[in-house]
Amino acid sequence: MTGVLAALRGSRTTLGAALFALVLFVVGTVHTAGFASGDNIRQLLVFASFVGFAALGQTLVVLGGGLDLSVPWLISFGGIQLAVLCAGGMNQVLAVVVCVVVGLLVGLVNGIGVTVFGVAPIVMTLGVGGLVQAYLLAVGLLKATGNDVPTIASGVANGALGPIPVVAVVWLVVALVVAVVLARTRFGRSVYATGENDVVAVLSGIDTGRVRMITYAVSGAASAFAGVIISGYIGKAYLEIGQPFLFASIAALVIGGASILGGRGTYFGTVVGAIALTLLNSLLPLFNLDPASLSIAYGLVILVGVRVTTTRGTGRGWGRRARRAEESEAG
Amino acid sequence: MTDLQLPAAPAARPRARRRRPVPWDLVAALAIFLVLAVVDLVLQPALADLGQIGLLLQTGLPLVLVAAAQTMVVLVRGLDLSVGGILAVATVVTASAQGGGPGWIALALAVGIGLGLLNGLLVGPVGMQPFIVTLATWTIFDGIALKIMSTDGGTPPPAAVALATGETAGIPNSVLVVVGLLVAWLLLRRSRFGHRMVAVGTDAERARLNGTPVRAVVVAAFVLSGLLAAFAGVLSSGLTASGSPTIGDRYILTSVAAVVIGGTSLLGGRGGIGLTVLAALSLTLINDIVAAMNADVWVTTAASSGLLLVLVLTRGLVARLSGRRVT
Repeated sequence: MTGVLAALRGSRTTLGAALFALVLFVVGTVHTAGFASGDNIRQLLVFASFVGFAALGQTLVVLGGGLDLSVPWLISFGGIQLAVLCAGGMNQVLAVVVCVVVGLLVGLVNGIGVTVFGVAPIVMTLGVGGLVQAYLLAVGLLKATGNDVPTIASGVANGALGPIPVVAVVWLVVALVVAVVLARTRFGRSVYATGENDVVAVLSGIDTGRVRMITYAVSGAASAFAGVIISGYIGKAYLEIGQPFLFASIAALVIGGASILGGRGTYFGTVVGAIALTLLNSLLPLFNLDPASLSIAYGLVILVGVRVTTTRGTGRGWGRRARRAEESEAG
Repeated sequence: MTDLQLPAAPAARPRARRRRPVPWDLVAALAIFLVLAVVDLVLQPALADLGQIGLLLQTGLPLVLVAAAQTMVVLVRGLDLSVGGILAVATVVTASAQGGGPGWIALALAVGIGLGLLNGLLVGPVGMQPFIVTLATWTIFDGIALKIMSTDGGTPPPAAVALATGETAGIPNSVLVVVGLLVAWLLLRRSRFGHRMVAVGTDAERARLNGTPVRAVVVAAFVLSGLLAAFAGVLSSGLTASGSPTIGDRYILTSVAAVVIGGTSLLGGRGGIGLTVLAALSLTLINDIVAAMNADVWVTTAASSGLLLVLVLTRGLVARLSGRRVT
């Protein structure tokens, strides 16, 4: 019984984010007739899954106490490299595998810099992201009108299983796997322990370096894969396709209740955060605001939405609420 | 800066006597800065001149100040993504002067204080996570800047241009601003407020039990951050002789990177503006070196990222080989 209560309390921020998403959805439905139509919901799910894949590795990295700023460049890499490989006549499935594996290796480089050399994650991943960008600019991979995307990417991005888009199904499966890994496996617990308190984790016999390295590797692979499906959806691969996903990937997990300082949060929270963020992105333009007002409204809604729907701070704050939460946690 | 004095190690002293620890962070930040300065001097020997240094410093000044703003908040274990937004608002307010008096500069600074106060109140008394608060206020402030000025333009007061690009008694103003910033930081760090900031950043709960007004300290840190970011905006406007509602975004990640490269811990309580200034100047030098190479965009991209990585990886390696615990 106490276990159930604890689980409920732990997921309260996720419930808050879900409530936030629900409110946005209701507002959209009331305001615009077609908002709740099957087509629009399918569209929203596809967009949300892009954010979800971009934020998958980011969530693991942040839970482990790091941050990955190379995500947007690896997304661009995934899309462009796939297009180039396939244009060169490589088997399309093999090309996707190559892109994801290279993404994994780049993530591993991030991980080695952070764990072996002790470089701050934000600096290491910023630098590696810059190198990936330089690579994409360098070798004549880019076409002025964008690179043509192979059929496998556009097929995955636009395909449907009955009424549900394929990417949404894949996302659901991945989310379940990640949730189980985080909650039920030794590795998952190690990630939380590493992010919560590195020293204590080491003293408890956890190889924190290995744990961190794995999170960065997963982030690299997931970002490259996100690049494949995002470029597939757009139909062209550009250098800039990854850019919107840097802050989206971080915002999704923070809205979902994770602490940016590590150790607290779930991928399920990120999934809900990604959906809330996508709803907000598609809802606000319906109000015909000028760009300045749109920007202000966006910030205000996030601020008020998170404040109202989050029934308690995730700790690490300074306010009375955070303190009370910590006291009740201790008691 | 007391950190600058390496501990004297007289041989006569008994070994049991406790030595002051070597300020490794400062040594590392200085080493990185000096390596880059030497590289830049070799590439461009003309740089060895106070006027030239002043010009170079000018271009780096907004980053130095934004990074200093970021440091204030990071010291209390916060993060301020809205510094770019505050900078943008300050540039457009300054540039709204259309040739008016220096009162516009004061107005821009006051607006910066107000926006910083808003962040501080949401994080301190309201108790929301700094990251989510400033992520939201960042877009709000960007929107406000766009409301004031929809495109780049306007004319800042002559005083702002003079402040950024002029010189006083033969010394470039940019040099004076950096020196002034360092002096102000030294005074602040020695003050009761400075000690309280470090206490809150190290362990907020313990600080509270010791009677530190934690929330007030957090609010004050955000207010100072807002003021410094707005000052960066005033200088940026003076440098470009215009205002830009979109100029701020490029400074956000760079400001955090400068803080971290300097050696200030994102977990709070360790570091300071002295370190950050060195790191921000190092980043400015990297830009200058890369620009001097006059090469393709991919080469400059690779060189600036590569230089940064080589330096921080070397620092990590040295720290590891010298047996210090890597944080």
